[in-house]
Amino acid sequence: MKKRILLGLGFLLILLSLYLVFLFVPTEKEMGIVQRIFYLMVPSAWTALLSFLFVFAASILYLASRKSKWDILAHSAAEIGLAFTSLTLIVGSIWARPIWGVWWTWEARLTATLVLWFIYLTYFIVPSMVTDESRAARFAAVVGIVGFLDVPIVILATTLWRGLHPAPIIFQGGIAPPMLLTILASVAAFTVLYFILLMLRVSIKTDEVELKKLRELPD
Amino acid sequence: MENFGYLLAAFSAAWAVVFAYLLLLLNRQKKLHQEINLLKEELKGK
Amino acid sequence: MNFWRKVIAIARKDTLAEMRTRETVSAVLVFTLLVIVIFNFAFGANPGIAKEVASGMLWVTFAFAGVLSFNRSFIVEKEENCLEGLMIAPISREVIYVGKLLASLLVMLIIEIIALPVFALLFNLDVLSIQLVIIIVLTTLGFVAVGTLFSAMAVNTKAREMVLPILFLPIIVPVIISAVKASDLALSGGSWTTLASWLQIIGAFDVIFLVASFLIFTYVIEE
Repeated sequence: MKKRILLGLGFLLILLSLYLVFLFVPTEKEMGIVQRIFYLMVPSAWTALLSFLFVFAASILYLASRKSKWDILAHSAAEIGLAFTSLTLIVGSIWARPIWGVWWTWEARLTATLVLWFIYLTYFIVPSMVTDESRAARFAAVVGIVGFLDVPIVILATTLWRGLHPAPIIFQGGIAPPMLLTILASVAAFTVLYFILLMLRVSIKTDEVELKKLRELPD
Repeated sequence: MENFGYLLAAFSAAWAVVFAYLLLLLNRQKKLHQEINLLKEELKGK
Repeated sequence: MNFWRKVIAIARKDTLAEMRTRETVSAVLVFTLLVIVIFNFAFGANPGIAKEVASGMLWVTFAFAGVLSFNRSFIVEKEENCLEGLMIAPISREVIYVGKLLASLLVMLIIEIIALPVFALLFNLDVLSIQLVIIIVLTTLGFVAVGTLFSAMAVNTKAREMVLPILFLPIIVPVIISAVKASDLALSGGSWTTLASWLQIIGAFDVIFLVASFLIFTYVIEE
């Protein structure tokens, strides 16, 4: 029952945010219609970070309790987080092209997202090279914790290094109410979508783990 | 409406990624259920 | 105070072992000097360019030197099964971490002390500033804090030497950025105020990761 409600809510929010992004919100004068990508970027980056928070919390809980369900949660959150981080990079790149004329630039937010992407990747690479399973899970948890702690410092360092990309222009003199509504709706839609994906992924991983255990039972 | 192509590309990319991942997950779930049912049959047959 | 005595004991053991063979220091030192020379071929032809990328080159060199030396830190333990011995001994895991950290720190500092004048010589830079020294010490501390933790992890994987850089490099990105910018300012005679924010970032990194690695180390080492 809860799942149906969530799916329905997600669907509605997606429709609402699409309407707001494309029909409701006025076009920004400096960047033109491409500026609407902003309503995709912020939610995408937000879910990527939210996911990492889950990885962090679940990793700590796993190291403390060694209950496999926390490892499953951390792993699922990491996978979805990696997907959304990749999405942020792709969308960021597509936005960069018409605005700055290049497919990539080493400005603060894109660079920080790239580093986050690598840390997410490490979360998967390191345990794959460990033979013992419980050790692999432990190492993944360590990467999850250390990686998350690094994120604020990365953001701080890259921002100090490069300065912010043009997004703040939108906030000059406060953000216009229609834009605020649109961005909030988009973030809400993405967040609900994120939870749907997370729940799905966790249930699949749980089944996979159980299946494996069943297989290893003596006949 | 300049740069409309980019706007379209960005949103298409986003929804493509989301739906591809969603489909991947649903697919895996279906396969898992099939395997579980198969195992259940095997266990019953013993 | 017992804690520190045990820590010193471990650090001494590592340092003595290192001093007898000088394996790590010599290998990493040669590597460092080679990298500096190769960078010179890549950038040095035009002295203007060399000046601009100098601090970047310095830190890339030190980062890779760090990867090499941290790899050694736990591989030696694995080779003679010393690690099990250490774990059976009546010392806490944290003692092992701090002890190894101090030993690695010493090795890194020695290498940096030797590499820095060579660097200055080859690139005609004036490096004898207290600012640069502080930057180097702080940054190296950060390197060693995470390097020791990751080295303990890497040694338990199938592709040891490759795993450490994969773990290490993304995490130290903010420190590298800050160290390079700060070194740039230091080399061109900037005041302490300009350096302040970069030093704060490095300092924050050091504190956070020293504490975190200290707490997490035991989970990495257990069987």
